[in-house]
Order: sequence, then structure tokens, then C-alpha cells
Amino acid sequence: MKRMKKNRRKRNEVLTAYGFLLPNLVGLTVFVFFPMIYAFYVSLHDWNALSPKVFIGFDNYVEMASDKRWWASVGRTFLFTLIYVPALYCLSLFFAVILNNLKQKYQSIARTMFLLPFAITSVISAVIWMFLYDPRNGVLNQLLSSLGFDKLEFLGSTNQALVSIVVVILWINIGYNMIIFMASIKEIPKDYYEAAKIDGASAWRAFRSITFPLLRGTSTFILIVTMIASFTVFDQIMVMTSGGPASSTEVSVLYIYKQAFEFLNMGYASALAVILFLIIFILSLAQLRLYTKKG
Amino acid sequence: MKLSKPLIVVGFVFVLIFMVGCSSESSGGESGDVVKLTFWDFHTDAEEAFFSGLVDEYNAMQDKVEIEYSTIGNATDYSNTKIPVAFANNEGPDIFMTSPGDFQKYADAGALADLSPYFKEGVKEDFLPSALEAVTVDDKILALPFELELLGLYYNKTMLEEANLEVPKTWDELLATAKELTTDEVAGLALPTDKGPYLNFIWYPFLWQNGGSVLSEDGTKSTFNTPEVAEALDIWGSFFQEGVSPSKLQIPHDDIANVGGGTAAMQILGTWAIPKLEQEFEDGDEFGLAPIPIPEGGEHATAAGGWKIAVNANSEHVEQAADFVMWAFGDDQSRPLEWATETKFAYAPRQSVIEEGKEFYSQGLRNVFTEEIYDSAIPEPKFSAEIVDAVGEALQNVMFGGMSGKEAAEIAHEKIQSILDSK
Repeated sequence: MKRMKKNRRKRNEVLTAYGFLLPNLVGLTVFVFFPMIYAFYVSLHDWNALSPKVFIGFDNYVEMASDKRWWASVGRTFLFTLIYVPALYCLSLFFAVILNNLKQKYQSIARTMFLLPFAITSVISAVIWMFLYDPRNGVLNQLLSSLGFDKLEFLGSTNQALVSIVVVILWINIGYNMIIFMASIKEIPKDYYEAAKIDGASAWRAFRSITFPLLRGTSTFILIVTMIASFTVFDQIMVMTSGGPASSTEVSVLYIYKQAFEFLNMGYASALAVILFLIIFILSLAQLRLYTKKG
Repeated sequence: MKLSKPLIVVGFVFVLIFMVGCSSESSGGESGDVVKLTFWDFHTDAEEAFFSGLVDEYNAMQDKVEIEYSTIGNATDYSNTKIPVAFANNEGPDIFMTSPGDFQKYADAGALADLSPYFKEGVKEDFLPSALEAVTVDDKILALPFELELLGLYYNKTMLEEANLEVPKTWDELLATAKELTTDEVAGLALPTDKGPYLNFIWYPFLWQNGGSVLSEDGTKSTFNTPEVAEALDIWGSFFQEGVSPSKLQIPHDDIANVGGGTAAMQILGTWAIPKLEQEFEDGDEFGLAPIPIPEGGEHATAAGGWKIAVNANSEHVEQAADFVMWAFGDDQSRPLEWATETKFAYAPRQSVIEEGKEFYSQGLRNVFTEEIYDSAIPEPKFSAEIVDAVGEALQNVMFGGMSGKEAAEIAHEKIQSILDSK
């Protein structure tokens, strides 16, 4: 008797679990897994979206190997990631620690202010920054020249455009990541800091030996998620420079978009997307290994 | 057995979702005897009103065909997303609009129906030969041009007068004048900055005036490595390198508000700018218009852009769709005339329509287009998107990449030739 009851209960539990998982599972399958498999299928074809697909095996992948513009865009994506990810990590951690030491009242005001850019649609924030960056009438250049510096071209210069875009995306995302850091800093028991204080540790020492090591899990999460996001950066660049000037901000996703929707090379674009996915996948895996091993 | 029940539930839900997802496909087609057609474009405001009025009128005057008009409201989304995605799913509209930058890919894919059998007698001859040539592939007329948008040099008269300058007539004068007029607040010459078909469109007059071309006459060879091309790239690049054309514009370049609002002294722009200039900015006799300056010994040339209306070759009702297109722009003069004069300002590609609107075409700045620019018009070429991109890259390289025209032309030449060879 008892056993049957237990069995039934277990069955009910399984059923409930599936019930709760169902909406997500369905959503993921229809909108993520199926398109992924379909993209791979398309990548084996020559397809311009208007006429039927022609199967060509791995020709698209072979073509990619010698596509200089593609590899240049991959290089640019890596460069973007190398600037953006460390900058975002350090800045959001820095502000999280600073804000954490503020009084509760100021803390919530500052937190809201930092989070505000995150609540703005990405396209709109890109447009706002285009006004700030305008070489002739933009606020930033007015500021620079009133301080006696030379005016900058920002988005109109091949050297400055990518960094200018990094700044905008940092401005959008720092607040959000800062809040994640703040939440896990609050999880750290106060006793540790008290003990450190008694031992005469400086604030920097306390950060290095207590806060930073105990944030490892959060750090891993933020670094991986940010890296993935920076490999798929698109909308702000599309709005602000659409890859220019002279291709200096043409990152991988933008090039994939151009191949797909401007040139209508759907098959080739899908092949590029598959490779980009593999790059991101391998990097994320490697990162995950690296961080968990250390722990 | 334990798992089978949940799995069945999951499976059932999936089936349900797919059924819901797929059943929404409109059964469309005929209801009774009425043929239903879809017509998509990207227009807004007055232009949208014109087309929706046109469709209403057509629907009301006969009861065999019913057209459903819808607009996306944004030309880029329309060209790059809406239309390709619809065609990819075999749900393309029966009637749609296409631009010179996109025309070739739809033609190559066989998505455009041949309209030649549907012309009324004498109408084909009424069209400007060059306008029809621009939409003809293998003797098939694959779209109907209904507007020609020409380019000219708009300028602020007061600014030129105050600086004691003449309206530039040559490239050198254009550069020198632009330099004189450039200040911290005012750009000497506003030009487009971002890569795309529009950038090339504004540059083509410089290319043609200098005797250059992108492709050989038969379209099989790149002719981009000639000195004429390099020079046309050099002059364009010098506007940016010398700082008279801003590297970024706050107001999109296709908007006359750059000159109208006083942030630019000169701007190369199309016929479409005149109504806005008159309605929003005209302040006495403030603005002038001239043909685009030419190189020493060069010949006047301007680019004629404009959208074309096309019929989906895979439509079940090509004939009915073509009949509507011909009724709208290939029949009576009143509809094309209303479009080209009242709704916007463009040239109709039909002689009889221009004749009909003679009076209108001589009003104000329009007269400059009619008298001094119209005769030098060359339709915007229908290159594949990859060639458009290669030309755009050459322009970007001289504008921002610090390259000389010769270097940029050489790179683009190789790229274009390899695109042609792979076809």
C-alpha cells in the first residue's frame, strides 16, 4: 500500500515537473532548436530565398575559408570582445563595490540611475548617442573644444568608431551587471569583513581576499554571458554605422546580415552563422572549464 | 511506462501548436468569382494615401478583382526583410515595388512577370526608351517605371552671395566653393556617408560625367580600373578628406533639411526635395538649384532613380495583377501625372505625361530640372547587390580609408570581375 502511494506521488511529481517545463520546452524547440537545425540544413544549399534551394554539400564552407571579408569581420569581433568584456566586467564590479558602501538611501537612487540606460530600447540609445557623437554639433565635441582639446570624428573615423560603439554598449549594460554583482556582494556574510577589520586589513585587501574570490560564480556567469553577447552584437552597430566607415565596424553578425538580406545568399549566410555559433560554443566551453577548474 | 503519459501530453501540445501555427495561412484566392490580389509597398503619408486611393478607385470601378493594399512604412525594412522573407515562404505579394538596387536579384530569380504582353497599343512607345531599357532583361519588360527622380546641386543663395562666390560649374570650383563655405556650424557640401545603393546613386553622376562606367556595355566585364573611374573616386574622396563634407550627418542625407535648415551650404539631392523645400523652408528666394558640376572637358550627366512596380511571376493571377499595374501607370495620363506632380515631384517616364504637365514642370526650381538637367539623365543601373557593395566599398575607401582613387578602383575592379566570373 505504502509503496504504491509513494509511486503515485513520484509520478505526480514527474508530471508536475514536465508541466512546468513544458511552456519553455515548447518555446525553445519551436523558436530555437528547430531554427538552428534548419539553419544548418540551409547552409548546405545555394539559396537566394526567391528560387528553390539547390543542394551543394559543404561548398559554402569551402568558400568561406577564402572569404577575406568574413575573417576580417571575425577578427573585428574578437577585437570588440577583447575591449568590451574586460571593460564591462571591471567597471560593473567597480561600481557595485562603490555603491555597496553608500548609504541605503543614496544606494537605491544611484542604482536606478545606473540601470536606466538598460531600460531604453537599444535602437533609441544608439540614436541618442549619434547625436552626442556628432562631429560638428555633438555635445561631446562642444565639451572637448571648450576644454581646449581637438575635436574628434567619433563614428566617422575608422580608428574611433569601434571604441565609440563599445562605450555606448557599456553605457547600456553596466547598470544591469552591476546589480547582479551587488546582489552577490550582499550574500557575503558580514562576519568576514568584521574579522578582516579586526586583523587590520585595508579595504583593498578585504576586496582582494574576500569579495573577489567569493564572487567567482557570479563572475563566471557575467563573463560568459557578456562574451556571448559581444560576439552577437548587432543592433547598435547597424543603427550607428551599419558597418562603416570603410568597414571598420563590420562585425561578424553584421556581415552575416548583409550576406543574407542584402545579397540574398541565404545558404552562405547560414553557413557563416553555423561557424560563428561553433566559435562561440567552443569559447564558452573553454571559459567554463577554465573558471571551474580554478575553483 | 512511467514517462509515456507526460510524453503523450507533450506530443499532443506540440501537434496542437503546429496546427495552430500552420492553419492561419490565409486560404486566399477566389471567393465566388472575385480574384483577390495583394499589393505591398513602403510608402507613408501623402504617398501612401495616393496608392490606397488608387486601389480603392480600382476596386470600386469593377467587380472582378479586389486588391488589398498594405504598406510597411520603411523602405529599408521593406527591401531587406519584408519582401525577401515573404518570397522565401512562397507568400510574396502579387504586386510589389522594387528599386534599381534590388531589381536584378528578383529578375535573376525569375520572380518578376513579363509585362510586355499587357501594354496597350502605343503606350510602350510613349515611355522613355532608356527608362524601359533599365527594366528590360532578355527582351522582357519585368517592371513598370512610374517615376524618374533626377539629381541636382541645391545651394543656399545667401551663403554664396555673402561669400562673394559664383555657383560652381566644375569639380574644382565645387571643391573650392565648398571649402570657402565650410565653417564650424555649416558643412560646405552635404553628401551621403553610409554605404548602400543610395551612396552609389549620388556618386554615379560624377562617374558618368568623367566618361567612366562600372561595367562594359554587355555587362560581362568590369571597367572599374580606368583612370576615369579613379578620378571620379578622387574628387568624391577629397570632399571628405578636406573636411567640407561631414563624416556623419545628423539629418539623413536624403532630406533637404540639411540645406533647408542651414547646416549645409550645398547638397546634391533629387527632385523629391522641392516640395519640402517649398513647404517648410522657402524664405523668399533663399535656395537655388544647378546641374551637378562637371570635370574639365566632361559632359553633363545625372542619375535618374525611382521605384518600379512589378508583378510576382509566381502569382496565380499574373494577368489581373498586370492589368491593374497598366491601368495605374500605363494608361490614362491623369494618374501618373497626379503622382509625379501633386503627390511628389518627379518626372514621369512617359512623354505624354510630361507634355500634359508642362506648366507644372516649369514652376520655380522645377524649371531647372526640366530645362537644364532632364536631358542629361541616365537611369540608375540595375547591378546585383554584390556589385553595388563593391562600388560602395571603393567609395568608403576613398572617403575614410585614406586610399587614392586608383588603389580603391583597383580593389573594386578585381572584386567586381570575380563576382561576374562566378555567375
